[in-house]
Amino acid sequence: MFYREAGQFKTTYASDMAVLPILQDRIGLAVILLIGFVGIPLLGGNFFLQTVMIPFLVFSLAAIGLNILTGYTGLLSLGSGAFMGVGAYACYKLTTIYPGVNIVIWIVASGFFAAAIGVVFGLPSLRIKGFYLIVATLAAQFFLQWSFVRIPWLYNYNASGAIEVPQRLFAGIPLTGANATPVTRYLVLLGIVTFLTWIASNLVHGRIGRSWMAVRDMDIAAELMGIRLLPAKLLAFAVSSFYCGVAGACMMFLWYGGGEANDAFNINQSFTILFMVIIGGLGSLIGSFLGAAFISILPTALKFGVPALGIAIPGTVAEHATYILLGALIIFFLIVEPHGLARLWQIGKQKLRMWPFPY
Amino acid sequence: MSALAEMLQGEVARAAAETLLTVENVSLTFGGVRALSDISFDIRKGEIRAIIGPNGAGKTSMLNCINGFYHPRSGRITFKGKTRQRMRPYEAASQGIARTFQNVALFKGMTTLDNILTGRTLKMNRNFFWQLLRHGPAMREEIEHRIYCEDIIDFLEIEHIRKTPVGKLPYGLQKRVELGRALAMQPDLLLLDEPMAGMNLEEKEDMCRFILDVNRHFRTTIALIEHDMGVVMDISDRVVVLEYGHKIADGTPDEVKADQRVIDAYLGVSH
Repeated sequence: MFYREAGQFKTTYASDMAVLPILQDRIGLAVILLIGFVGIPLLGGNFFLQTVMIPFLVFSLAAIGLNILTGYTGLLSLGSGAFMGVGAYACYKLTTIYPGVNIVIWIVASGFFAAAIGVVFGLPSLRIKGFYLIVATLAAQFFLQWSFVRIPWLYNYNASGAIEVPQRLFAGIPLTGANATPVTRYLVLLGIVTFLTWIASNLVHGRIGRSWMAVRDMDIAAELMGIRLLPAKLLAFAVSSFYCGVAGACMMFLWYGGGEANDAFNINQSFTILFMVIIGGLGSLIGSFLGAAFISILPTALKFGVPALGIAIPGTVAEHATYILLGALIIFFLIVEPHGLARLWQIGKQKLRMWPFPY
Repeated sequence: MSALAEMLQGEVARAAAETLLTVENVSLTFGGVRALSDISFDIRKGEIRAIIGPNGAGKTSMLNCINGFYHPRSGRITFKGKTRQRMRPYEAASQGIARTFQNVALFKGMTTLDNILTGRTLKMNRNFFWQLLRHGPAMREEIEHRIYCEDIIDFLEIEHIRKTPVGKLPYGLQKRVELGRALAMQPDLLLLDEPMAGMNLEEKEDMCRFILDVNRHFRTTIALIEHDMGVVMDISDRVVVLEYGHKIADGTPDEVKADQRVIDAYLGVSH
């Protein structure tokens, strides 16, 4: 009843081509941003920020990256975990070689290194498709993961054999390292994610996004429209890996703070991100956020939420129950809506337009 | 009055005489199968040229050679005075050859408008960095092309399905959107592969009207493959007939209709 485009007349093509053509959507986005930037830092505790919001944002960024590749361009990949690793190690090397440069610049710049590596491993995509491409990207996953362990230069010959995140200041406040508060890290991360989401939205709504989707839907016809397949696919690999790389750098510097770096970028991570994209909705930016929320927040919610309800279960049982529940929910959502949570969101909005009438 | 008519006629004749595309001795083989042997014909600027023949005659293979999907084993194809040996489809597209497919090849996940806008890809020049912003010059370019696409949408009378994903559209409309997408490329030569396959009479009549209007309104040269002889004979200026990869006739619809080999191979006799 309140969510309707009735009365909102478009008199210019610019307003019709806006990403959010309906006023209520724009208000909704503003409210979400306000809550994200003001409400959550004020009301959410450190624990909430560290275990819920920061992982959610990091995974959202990685899911947007994979969604550009798999959802928009139709190229399946299982290398996103490794590309995140490239971003994390690139950021580590950059900030230890040039400590004077602001860490936020290095976090974003590390995406370019991931993009370059992504392009190299994207080269086979012109010739091979589908499951075979997955195997090719698995090569990237295994090779890069091997490099992270076997090339000590990458982790500066640390005794721990992993990234040790140094302390870096941002506007005089510690942003990385042991002294950084979750609120600072969260706000910077939210800024990065908001900015990059805006960029991604611009890309997929313009000429480049259309050419990606054309390649996905019918590559022969796309070539006939004058879209060169290899550059289009490589650009998708580059942009996708850029997002994954930035997500990896954020993960290491704004979330983990070092530690178990080798494990963070393994094949499980790639699978996790692929599941987020599939459950969230292929070819949808909002789906990336929904999928990331579903997969990254739900286990935490189950782990801490169930005991909070007064149901006392031993820790190990809770752990296993989480897996069972998560698996069951994934199957449930895929049966209810194979096109992912983004489609459910669309249907919900459609229903809301009619409400309170049935049709 | 008569002077004007004469002048117009002269104009038409001159335009007709100008050759847009020449196919010379083209042969195409797949392993041991000769799909096309020694085919030669030409397409003049501004005409509607039909390619007909029984199933498997090599009509679609011929179109595929023209727009670069297949590379002929031998022979030459000259388009706008430029002879080429091997060429990728996107090069053909950038030279001004557009095409529709026998089985609709739309981008199913995209809306009608996005499909047609994709046809403008080659005309869009703003680089990646402007695309990142989608403001200023990039947006102005989008709007400029949107206006062009709206003209096509208007012309094909598909305003009501502008924002519908094409996968959900009925077959007849999909064919029309595909024509729109090809038109958005502003082609010099438009190849239509069975534009009327699987349509009912009314849809066929609509499509005929669109094809004739495209030819006259946009002055687009059209080469089409079609099985409906009534349509072919009515709308085309010249017809080339293929059978088993050989050319068996070439001429105006009346000449072709009277040709004994064409009757034997394809048209048959009414009893």
